[in-house]
Amino acid sequence: MTNDDRFQSLYRKYYKRMVRFYVLSFRVTEEDAEELTQDAFFRFLEAMDEYRGDAEWAYLETIARNVAYNRIRSQKTAKRGAETVDIHDRNAIAEPAAPAEPDYAQREEAALRSKQLRDAIAELPAGSRECMQLWLNEFTYDEIAKFLKISVDAVKSRLRDAKKVLRARLGDANALPEVEE
Amino acid sequence: MITKSELSDVNGKVMAENQVTNGEPPTAEEVLAYTRGELTPEEEACIRERLIAYPELVRTLTTPFPEPAEPGHPDYLSDHEFARHWKALQKRRQRSNGSLQFWRAFGAIAASLAVVFGGLLWRAEIELKKPQAVWEQQELYSDSRRGIEGEPNKLTPNGESYLLVPGLGSDLGADKLRVDILDMAVNPPRTVWSSNAISRTSNGSLVIVLRRDSLKPGAYKLVVYGITGARQDELSTFTLRVPAR
Repeated sequence: MTNDDRFQSLYRKYYKRMVRFYVLSFRVTEEDAEELTQDAFFRFLEAMDEYRGDAEWAYLETIARNVAYNRIRSQKTAKRGAETVDIHDRNAIAEPAAPAEPDYAQREEAALRSKQLRDAIAELPAGSRECMQLWLNEFTYDEIAKFLKISVDAVKSRLRDAKKVLRARLGDANALPEVEE
Repeated sequence: MITKSELSDVNGKVMAENQVTNGEPPTAEEVLAYTRGELTPEEEACIRERLIAYPELVRTLTTPFPEPAEPGHPDYLSDHEFARHWKALQKRRQRSNGSLQFWRAFGAIAASLAVVFGGLLWRAEIELKKPQAVWEQQELYSDSRRGIEGEPNKLTPNGESYLLVPGLGSDLGADKLRVDILDMAVNPPRTVWSSNAISRTSNGSLVIVLRRDSLKPGAYKLVVYGITGARQDELSTFTLRVPAR
């Protein structure tokens, strides 16, 4: 089987699903997703001659993830610069109507609570904090386990510990229901 | 009661602050090293902390990759679809190769120029390292000794200066000596160098050191005068020729 044959086989099997992977996972447009997919396959084609392993699909996966990572990273780093606003664009600079202000006591209470929560998160042991932060960002146990390179059971255990510490620290016995087993 | 959404809001703010304090997200190479387990535990912890501040980037590593579509499934590209994609890919590849060839040619030219200039530099350095004669002694014969038809004293163009040694008798019958060098190319001849503080060797010859650039190519006359009190006598003349270098 030549390189071109192997490439064709993978391309036909993965193309449409990779486009969907980019659309659903990274919330890009269909057009952007097609561009990313073609970019990934182009890199894969260019690198195929140098690849010596058998699991070419795994190599394609690495390249596909890398392409997505670079795209999002470049967007993130671009966003770190100053945001430019057209001063002639009334919509761009128009201030939204201010919501009804809570009174002073309510604001004070909210600020205090927010500080307590931040401190509580910050004081969690590193492993538990990482699990908690990913869980709060809607990552599944499998995803958390994959990223942290630990087992799913370890993820659940760390989350249980983190919640226990938070409940104790915040004096709220009913806070954060247990992880569903 | 504290809810997950309340905690998520606070966590969002913490992560936004972490994005500022931790700097830019890790590079793709750093992340690849992380996923392959090529880092030390400390380095891994550092990458993890920086990445967690950017959940969208973590998602690129954790979102399950799709399974392949089997032939016959609607997700499997048809021959026609693949042919169209393949054509586009080949075009892109050609463009990429064209650009690569341009940069290769550019690199080759740059490398050739570097070799040429490197060679020139090396040669110049070798030339500079060669021993340079500061001067070369030139014995001069007076016009009376050479005879009227004789060849003038030809100064050799080596070294940075001339060391002229005009031959004179040991007893000149004068208290002091003065030497003038006249440029014979102009009429009347113009004095281009003169001195009355001249050293003499043990056999009575004069020793004159002149910078090379003080005598341009042409004909000159070196005249030695003997001075006694107010009297000045011409003792000897030497015709010189400075060839073009």
